[in-house]
Amino acid sequence: MTTPDYSPVVQATGLTKWFDSHSGRLSLFSELELTIQRGESVAIIGPSGSGKSTLLSLLAGLDSPSHGDVMIAGQALAQLDDSQRAALRSQHLSFIFQAFHLLPELNALENVMLPLEIRGQQNAEATARQWLDNVGLAERHSHYPPMLSGGEQQRVAIARAFATEPTLLFADEPTGNLDQSTGDAIVEQLFTLNREYSTTLILITHDSRLAARCGRVLQLQQGQLVEQPAAGSAQADAAEEAHP
Amino acid sequence: MTLSQLNRLALRQSRASWRLLEWRALAAALLIAICLSTLLAVTGAKLEKSLGQQSAALLGADLVISSSRPLPDKRAQAASTYGLQSSTVTQLSSMLSGNDKFLLGSIKAVAEPYPLRGEISTAPALGSVPEPGTVWAEKTVLQRLGLNVGDPLTLGYSTLTISAELLSTPDRGRGFGSFNPMVILNQADLAATQLIAPGARIDYRLLIAGPKTQVDQFEQSLLPQLSSAERLVSLNSEGNLQGNLQQNLNRYLRLSAVMALLLCALTILLSLRRFSHASLNRAAVLLNLGLQPGQLVQLFGLQLLQLWLVCAAAGTLIALLLDSLVASLLNSMIPGQLPDATLLHWLQGALMGLVLLTTLGLPPLLAISRVSVSQLLRQSEPASVTTGKVLMGLALLALLVWIGLYLDSPVLALALTAVLVGVSWALGLIGQWLTRRLATLLSGRLKLGRLLVLRIQQQRRWQKLQIPVMSLLLALMALLWLARGDLMERWAEQLPLDSANHFVINIQPWEKDPLAAFMQQQGVEAELYPMVRARITGKNGLANAEAFNAEQKQHNSLNRELNLTWRSQLARGNEVIEGSWPPKTDDNGNTVSVESNVAAHLGLKLGDTLSFSVGANQFEATVDSIRKVKWDSFQPNFYMVFAPAALEKLPTSYITAFYLPPENSTTANGLLEQFPTLTLIAIEQLLAQARQLIEHLVDASSLIMAMSLLAGTILVITLMTQERAQRRYENALLQALGASNRDCQQLDRLEFGLTGLVCGALAALLAELALWPIHQMALKVDPVIHPSSWLILPLLGMALFTLLGSLSRRAPRSLWTQLRAR
Repeated sequence: MTTPDYSPVVQATGLTKWFDSHSGRLSLFSELELTIQRGESVAIIGPSGSGKSTLLSLLAGLDSPSHGDVMIAGQALAQLDDSQRAALRSQHLSFIFQAFHLLPELNALENVMLPLEIRGQQNAEATARQWLDNVGLAERHSHYPPMLSGGEQQRVAIARAFATEPTLLFADEPTGNLDQSTGDAIVEQLFTLNREYSTTLILITHDSRLAARCGRVLQLQQGQLVEQPAAGSAQADAAEEAHP
Repeated sequence: MTLSQLNRLALRQSRASWRLLEWRALAAALLIAICLSTLLAVTGAKLEKSLGQQSAALLGADLVISSSRPLPDKRAQAASTYGLQSSTVTQLSSMLSGNDKFLLGSIKAVAEPYPLRGEISTAPALGSVPEPGTVWAEKTVLQRLGLNVGDPLTLGYSTLTISAELLSTPDRGRGFGSFNPMVILNQADLAATQLIAPGARIDYRLLIAGPKTQVDQFEQSLLPQLSSAERLVSLNSEGNLQGNLQQNLNRYLRLSAVMALLLCALTILLSLRRFSHASLNRAAVLLNLGLQPGQLVQLFGLQLLQLWLVCAAAGTLIALLLDSLVASLLNSMIPGQLPDATLLHWLQGALMGLVLLTTLGLPPLLAISRVSVSQLLRQSEPASVTTGKVLMGLALLALLVWIGLYLDSPVLALALTAVLVGVSWALGLIGQWLTRRLATLLSGRLKLGRLLVLRIQQQRRWQKLQIPVMSLLLALMALLWLARGDLMERWAEQLPLDSANHFVINIQPWEKDPLAAFMQQQGVEAELYPMVRARITGKNGLANAEAFNAEQKQHNSLNRELNLTWRSQLARGNEVIEGSWPPKTDDNGNTVSVESNVAAHLGLKLGDTLSFSVGANQFEATVDSIRKVKWDSFQPNFYMVFAPAALEKLPTSYITAFYLPPENSTTANGLLEQFPTLTLIAIEQLLAQARQLIEHLVDASSLIMAMSLLAGTILVITLMTQERAQRRYENALLQALGASNRDCQQLDRLEFGLTGLVCGALAALLAELALWPIHQMALKVDPVIHPSSWLILPLLGMALFTLLGSLSRRAPRSLWTQLRAR
C-alpha cells in the first residue's frame, strides 16, 4: 500500500452550498472550514435535511460547491476538469453506501474487479480475489448479489472499497440497511481495515454508537459544522480488544 | 367527490403529466394514429366512392363487349331486343403529330349516343361527341406537342382541328395503351385516317346500358355466344382496370399504414404501462385520502379521455391539412376529381383512437385501481398480474380484429401480423446476437468494455423490440428510395448501348419496301419482321377446353392473339434447344418453332400439333423445334416462328426495331411525315411513363412512411426510457467508482451507436433481400449489392439512435442524489 507523504488529506475552505428555488435562494451551509488529517476517522452527524449527504458529495468531488474550495490529497477540486476529478476519485477515493450498490448482473468477484478495471489495473482479478478472501467471502466469489445476504453484500462492497487501496474512504450510513448484530460485525471489519491500511475514513451516520467509534465527530446543524468532544477513542479501543 | 371535482382533478393531473416523457410519447403516438387513420379513412372513402359512383361512369356503360376484331352487328341488335341502349367505340394506339412533333397517343373514335354512363367534360363544353373534322385532346397532348385549341392535329392521313381540351372522359379502355394521352374523334372521321389496317392493335367496343335486370339477362345470354376474340367487361368483372387500380391503391395505402398503426399501438401500450406504474404512488395517496377505487378508475379514465379529446382534435385537423396533399398525389393517377368524404369518415380516426386507447388503456387503468395503501410503505407492485395478462391478451386480440376490419380482410390481417411478428422475432434475435458479438469484440479495447457487454445484455429485452422496429422502418425507407430511382435506372442501364430504342408497328405490306428504302437512306439498320395475328385454338386435334388443364388455360398465350412470324434464319438472341431449324412447309403441312417458356407452360413437345385461327382461316402446324429466346434483347421476338411460305396468304403487317441516338430527331419525324399511319414507339417514352407511375406511388406512400418513421422513433424513445432510471443509476455508481462523466456518456453512445449500426446493417440486408426477387423476376436483371445503402443505412441508424438516446437523457440529477434515492 502506498502512503502519500502529505497531510492534510482533505481541506475545505469557505465551503458554501445553496440552491435556487422559486421561493428564493435556499442556503444549506456557508463558509464551512474543515481539515482532515491522514489516517483520521471522522463522523459527520446531524438531523435529516441538514446537508450531510451534500457535504459528503462536495468533499468527494461528486458535486460542485456554490462557493469555496475542497482540496483532496493536495489537489484543488475546483481546478480539475471532469476527467481529472474522475482520475482523482479512482486513485484516492472509495465509497461504501447504505444500499450497498452492487451491480446485480456482476458476481461478487466482478463487482470488486470493476473499480480496478476502471483504473486500468493489471492484476484486477487476483487483487479482487484477495480482498474477497480478506472480508471472509472466500466461498462466495461467483455468487451474484441477489444470492447474498445483506451483510455479505456489504462485505463485498467493503472489499470493493478497499481493493483500490484508497487514501480516503467515504461511508454513508454503512449499517443502515443491516440488523444490529450484522451491522456490528461490518463496523468491526470496517474499522479494523481502516486502521490496518491507514485509510482516512469519513462517515455519515445517525447512529451515535457508530459515530462514537470515530476519532472525531462533527455535527452539521443549521449550516454550521460543530466539533463534538471526542469520546470515541476509548470505546473504539475497547471494541478492538473485544474483536478477535 | 363529485364528477366535476374529479374532472378538475383529472385536468390538473393531465397538466402535470405533460412533464412525463411517457405521457408525451403516449400523446404523440395517439396523435399519429388518429391523424393517419383519419387520413386513410378519408382517402379510402374517396377512392371507394369514386369507384362505387363512377365505376359505371368509368366504364362508360353497364356492360362492354370488347374485341380485337370488328364486332358483328348482331351484338347491338341483340342488345336492343333486350331494350338496351348501345354504342360502338373504336380505340387504338397511334402516333399523333402536330407542330413538327409527334407523340404516341390513344385514339378513341365515338358516335352518338356516347357515353352511356358518366360524362365527358371538355373546355369549352361542346357536348359529348366531337363534330366531324374536329378532335378533342387531353392537356398532355397539347402540352407535349405545343398545341392549343384551334390548332390542327394529324392522325394518320387526316388532319383534324382541335376544338376543345378534353378534361375527363369515362371509358378509357384497357391495357397499357389506355395510359397514353388521349384524343377523341368522331367515328365518321376514322376511316379517312387509314389507321385501321390489318395487324393494327385495335380495341372494338360495344357499350351497353339499361335497367339492371335486362343488363344481367343480356349478359347471361351473351356469355355462351362470345367468340374467342371477344371479352365481356361488366361492373364487377376483373377486366375493369380502373376499378382494380383504385381498389389496389386503397389496399396498398392501408397496408403501408398498418405498420405505423401497429407501432403507435405498441407505443401506447408501453407508455401507458409506464404511466400507470409511475402513478401507483399517487393512486395510493389518493386512496389513503379517501378516494374510492371506482373513483380512482374514473379519475384516470377522465385523464385519458381528456388526452383523447386533445389528440382527436389535433389529429383530425392535421389530417385535414395532409388530405389535400394526398389528393393531389392521387389525382395524377386517377382520372377525374376525387369526391368528398362524409363527416363519418372524418370522425373515423378519432373513434379508432378511442377504441385503441380504451382497449389498451383498460389493463393499466385497472392496475391503478387495484393499488393498496400499503404501496406507500413498501413500494411494491399491485398483486393481480394474471388478470392483467388476460386483459392484455384481450386488448391485443381487439387490436387484431381492428386491423382485420381496417384492411377489410381478416386473413390478410392475420397473415400480415404473423409475417410482421415472425420477421420481427427473427430480426430481434439476429440483431441482439450481432450487437452482443460486436460489444464483446470491442470490450477488450475499451476501459468500460465489460460494462458495454453488460449493458447490451441488460437491454436485450428492449433491443428485441428496438432492433426489428428500426431495421424494418429503415429497410422500407431504403426500398422506397431504391424503387424510386435505382430500379428503373438499373433496368435501363443494363440494356446494351446500341439496343433498339424505337419500335415501329402497323407497317402494311405496301409500306414495307418504301420504309426499308427510307431507313437505308437514313443510314439506320432495321430489319422488318412479318407479323400475323392468330389465336391458338387447340392441340393435337382437341379444342383448348379439352387440350389444356386449368392452369395452362390461364396462360397469356391462350387468352390473347399471338404474333406469328416466319423466317428461315434464326434471329439474334434465339437458340434452338430441341428439334431442328428451320421450320418447314410442304405437302405434309407446316411445322412451327415454339418459344421454350410457352412450350413449358402449355406442355408442348416436339411432334405436337397446334391449331391456329386467323379470322375465318384455320390451320395447323407441328412443333418441330423449341427455341430459347433472350427477351430483353430489344429485338422483336416471337413465340411462334413458321417457314416463310406457310403464312404468306394471311393478313400480314410488319414490325421493326432500331436504334436512334438521342441527338437524332430528324429520322423519327421524317418517318412519320412520310408514313403517317405507322405507330412509332419510343422506349424512353414508355420508361418515362412507368417511372412516373412508380414515382407517384412512392410519393403517396412516402407520406405514410414518414409517419411510420415518426411513430417508430417515438416507440424507440419510449423503449429507451423504460430503463432510463437504471441507466442513470448505473452511471452515477460508475462515477463514484472512478469513471468520468465522459466515460459514462461514451458507454451510452457506444450502446446506442452499436444498436443503430446493427439496425442499419440489418435494414440494408432486408432491402437487398426484398429487391432480389424484384430484380430477378420482374426486371430480369442480375441482382446487385447497393453499396450506398450498406454505407448510408448503418450510419443513419447510428446517428438516429445516438440522437434519440441523447433526447431520452434528461439533465441528470446530482450523482449523490441518484445513489441516495435507491
